[in-house]
Amino acid sequence: MSRAGEQPAPEAIADFLRDVRVGVERGMDPLAAAQAASESLPERLRGALETVVRRLRGEYHEDEWGFDEQFAEAVFPIFEFLYRVWWRVEVEGVRNVPSHGRALLVANHAGSLFPFDATMMTMAVMKEHPLPRWPRFLVLDWAFVLPYISTFIRRCGGVPASRHNATRLLEEDELVMVFPEGVKGTGKSFADRYRVQRFGRGGFVEVALRTRSPIIPVAVVGSEEIYPKLGESQAMARAVGAPFVPITPTFPWLGPLGLIPLPSRWRIEFCEPVDISEHPPEAAEDRRVVFDISERVRETIQEKLYENLVKRGSVFL
Amino acid sequence: MARRVVITGISSHWGAELARRLERDPAIEYIAGIDTRPPPAELERTEFIEADIRSPLLSRVLPSTEADTVVHCGILWYPEPGRPPRVLHEINVIGTLQLLAACERTESLEAVVVRGSAAIYGSEGASPSFFTEDLAGQVRLRTRFQRDIAELEEYFLNFARRHPRLVCTMLRYQPEVGPDLPSPLVRYLSLPVVPVQLGFDPRLQLLHADDATGALERAVHNPVRGAVNVGPDGAISLSRALRILRRSPLPVPAPLFEPAMRRLGARLGAGALLEDGMRLLRFGRGVDNRRMRDDLGFEPAYDAVGAIEDLARAADARRIGPDLHPGTIAGRLIGIDR
Repeated sequence: MSRAGEQPAPEAIADFLRDVRVGVERGMDPLAAAQAASESLPERLRGALETVVRRLRGEYHEDEWGFDEQFAEAVFPIFEFLYRVWWRVEVEGVRNVPSHGRALLVANHAGSLFPFDATMMTMAVMKEHPLPRWPRFLVLDWAFVLPYISTFIRRCGGVPASRHNATRLLEEDELVMVFPEGVKGTGKSFADRYRVQRFGRGGFVEVALRTRSPIIPVAVVGSEEIYPKLGESQAMARAVGAPFVPITPTFPWLGPLGLIPLPSRWRIEFCEPVDISEHPPEAAEDRRVVFDISERVRETIQEKLYENLVKRGSVFL
Repeated sequence: MARRVVITGISSHWGAELARRLERDPAIEYIAGIDTRPPPAELERTEFIEADIRSPLLSRVLPSTEADTVVHCGILWYPEPGRPPRVLHEINVIGTLQLLAACERTESLEAVVVRGSAAIYGSEGASPSFFTEDLAGQVRLRTRFQRDIAELEEYFLNFARRHPRLVCTMLRYQPEVGPDLPSPLVRYLSLPVVPVQLGFDPRLQLLHADDATGALERAVHNPVRGAVNVGPDGAISLSRALRILRRSPLPVPAPLFEPAMRRLGARLGAGALLEDGMRLLRFGRGVDNRRMRDDLGFEPAYDAVGAIEDLARAADARRIGPDLHPGTIAGRLIGIDR
């Protein structure tokens, strides 16, 4: 892998075009000339070119859920920038995430306009874990009726939030991220930041019990400040059919610029797995057990949130 | 054991293909086909019974065949010559009702297999990615065809309940594609430029026509009780399917897509079922096919990608003029073999 002898891309392309011209002048047909010239392209450039062409021909992998690893890798740098530069994410306990087999990551949910917590947790697992793997995440149903956004989320590994999807993903031994607070979490006002909301009906516990998956609570600090929600516009929500439309210090006042998230500092802590192996799968029908575990997870996340808020110190600097 | 099978909708592609396969099977002693039009000429030992499944006359005809299995292939997904869109509802719902009434009078009967549709699950953005059979009726049904399918499934369920002796199989088919299938969907995928909805890229499970017939044949030999999803393994996005087929998509904004497809739909032969197609092309649909594999015991030969690749091979062989798709040209430029 010595790159020293390799030409920079613009020169290589100029060479390629010259080779084609020379070929044609010698009487080759343009197609053959291009083929011959492409042989002498530097290997790295040729590889990249081939990947692009194979994509045009539909020759790439896409799994049964619509997750497209090549696509996810292509947009990785954008989120890497957000992760490293914009939000300066610090991660703790990433080794609590198993490197193989099923597991359910349960996190607090925040970031009114666009909840970025799933993407940053993905980055944390992909960048910090010794054996990285792509987690899958459950996304609010509403996002899946939107143009572009639905397609983007699906290609990155998101699926519509439903217990059927969660169960099937876990049965396939995937790493699954859920946000049991749902809209209650993302839609809470800035004054309520870092107060973990009610955990629905504990559906995630039922799924974990049925599929015998460990639950790993995750505390995410920083997501609350990216779009501080000061109020909400019911008229706009009705107009677009959204569960809510937040008003932040910058949105909708600055138009598209208001979509730029604030550069808060983030901390993500992956906690010790909650042991649920003592319960048989049938315990999923026992409301008491389900609420018990659900509450235990919620409390763990809440505690860790306060801890990490202190560790983080200043919000932006 | 010698078997006697009656197939409705024998002149349709589905009925005729099934009869062709069953004719090759010596264990099947007698095959009859019911339809209003004669079946394709290639069928050899299938007895053609000219009857309309909507007419009460069927109750006299069916018992006289002494059939042990009735396969209902007469549910139409799109209009055909002589069957305009407005009679589809009647054929699908009233036809099924009359057929079931005739089945009640057929004492030799042991099994009824209905070739239904996965349209009962609807096509919604926020649906589970893989519907299992018990999830029917969870979404609000939006199109006429979806409601028709739901209605006839209900009749069938009642019928099965009242006749516990009979094995009643409801096969819920995903849409099919195949090189020789004259369906609106296949015509749509063969357009030189394919209109798609801007910003949407549905996840599709299109079943290969050979597998569609295979599953039906399997159900004749091994009918199972209740509903069974019939779909391929895996899924494919429309954008990738079009690339494999070397078709260029033409993204059309959602408000214009409907009028555009309405115009195009008539030419594709989709008629009243266009609504379904449009929802499918926006949100797609996936089904869980584990019951098909485990209970019915059918193993599809093509997965979702394989079915499209097979269609692409056939389209390539039939192509008139040069293939100008960017994928083909760029592939040739840098020398990737097809």
